[in-house]
Amino acid sequence: MDEMILKINHLSKSFGSHEVLRDIDFTVNKGDVTSIIGASGSGKSTLLRCINLLEIPTSGEILYHGENVAKRGFKAPPYRAKVGMVFQSFNLFNNMTVLENCIAGQVKVLKKSKTEAKEHAMYYLEKVGMAPYINAKPRQISGGQKQRVAIARALAMDPEVLLFDEPTSALDPEMVGEVLAVMQDLAQEGMTMLVVTHEMAFARDVSNHVVYMNDGVICEEGTPADVFGNPQKQETRDFLTRFRNT
Amino acid sequence: MNIFVKLGQDIVSLWKEYAGLYLNGVWNTVSLAVLCTAVGCLIGLLCGILNTIPYTKNDNIFKRILLRTIRIVNQIYVEVFRGTPMILQAVVIYYGLPYFTNYAVRFSSVWLCAFVVVSVNTGAYMAESVRGGIISIDPGQTEGAKAIGMTHWQTMTNVILPQALRNILPQIGNNLIINIKDTSVMSIIGFTEFFAIHKSVAGTTYQYFPSAAIEMVGYLSMTLIASFLLRLWEKKMDGASNYELVQVDSLTMTAGTYSHPDKGSPFDEKSKEFHTAKELKRERRERKLQELKYGRPKGDR
Repeated sequence: MDEMILKINHLSKSFGSHEVLRDIDFTVNKGDVTSIIGASGSGKSTLLRCINLLEIPTSGEILYHGENVAKRGFKAPPYRAKVGMVFQSFNLFNNMTVLENCIAGQVKVLKKSKTEAKEHAMYYLEKVGMAPYINAKPRQISGGQKQRVAIARALAMDPEVLLFDEPTSALDPEMVGEVLAVMQDLAQEGMTMLVVTHEMAFARDVSNHVVYMNDGVICEEGTPADVFGNPQKQETRDFLTRFRNT
Repeated sequence: MNIFVKLGQDIVSLWKEYAGLYLNGVWNTVSLAVLCTAVGCLIGLLCGILNTIPYTKNDNIFKRILLRTIRIVNQIYVEVFRGTPMILQAVVIYYGLPYFTNYAVRFSSVWLCAFVVVSVNTGAYMAESVRGGIISIDPGQTEGAKAIGMTHWQTMTNVILPQALRNILPQIGNNLIINIKDTSVMSIIGFTEFFAIHKSVAGTTYQYFPSAAIEMVGYLSMTLIASFLLRLWEKKMDGASNYELVQVDSLTMTAGTYSHPDKGSPFDEKSKEFHTAKELKRERRERKLQELKYGRPKGDR
């Protein structure tokens, strides 16, 4: 259980003179469900995008099984195939059907045969409850359905770690439920997940590690019981009270 | 009225004599325009892909220099060929090559030269259109593709270009129609396309206007057919606006197939009751009001 997958050392990122992330340190072990919480603009999404190399960190290391992926000349595509990502805005390929969305990566990147890829994709589409809609185009299905397809697409690549960038923020309350249910199932099956979220209930009940970020630094981290039940820092307490009130 | 009868007679007599020549001209024009538009599009796509390869400061120095050079060369190509008249490009290339190489290198046929000039010219225009098409695609699509491990080339060919192509299809149509008309300048290097036929026929028969009338009709029919075919292609690319549910259990009710408690299904007795003239009128009025309030419902393209 304790095999380390990701280790982040002194990660910083600035856009121009604006420092978004400062000296971030944390580790992700196999089977961990880590929730990153914090106010908007505190750098949560940037951290996730740095981990997937969609943003290049200004300094610091991201160790993936001990190999620094943030170094010069690192080949990102094979690494990204192992680290799945689910976006706030779904980012399904608009020119493909639901099924093709889930197959494309397997065939083009993992070089699987079409039939094999289809079987694999169908397994995950079934799992997220989207199997009846395989012939639909993304523009024809609802937001919650799109997000479930996006999760299936990421899962079909057999990633070691799945990054979720506010997966439910663009959805209405009813659809949030269906997406969270899928994520909860995954967590129970032992998928390693890193979730940026505003769903405090999810962070508290599903994850086993909570990171609270404030102004580009990790303010507090620990088990959900610690962070939610007995927050040490004043900022964390303020943040959590604000959330309870709303 | 007599003048029109005379024009008709002149056209018929011209056509009787030179129909073969005219048709040959049409064939030369159409084949050159279609071929060059296709090749030009390929050049444009290639430039578009090369032009948008991203580089970050994490890449090594050679890659960065190479990519910078590609972009600069591309820029020069586009500016030069977009900024000079095609008629001049044809002359410069056709007569310039032998001039500079002391007649060692020359085009074996005018067709080949015309083909090169028009293709390269179209490519310059298409390069910019493709760039615009690529920019118009939501960056989220690129990120989605990158996130599952696709390389730039895979992202482009599988995700971005199919979508960008749909967006630039009207532009491709534009270029095809422009090419059908503008290949006429290739008569300057002696290529016998449609317009060159007019010059030679009018030169021998002095029937300038009747011949020009034939040309007008000819060009207009070519462009009309071209735009009609392109519309068809666009429609085909948009695909079906509906999809089939794949349900293992065919009796499962899915959203939209439930029967409304008041209306019933469209096949039972109750629905007839509902569709009395008065009710229909009321329904239509309500829909009008809704439309006024919220705007017309937008269907799929």
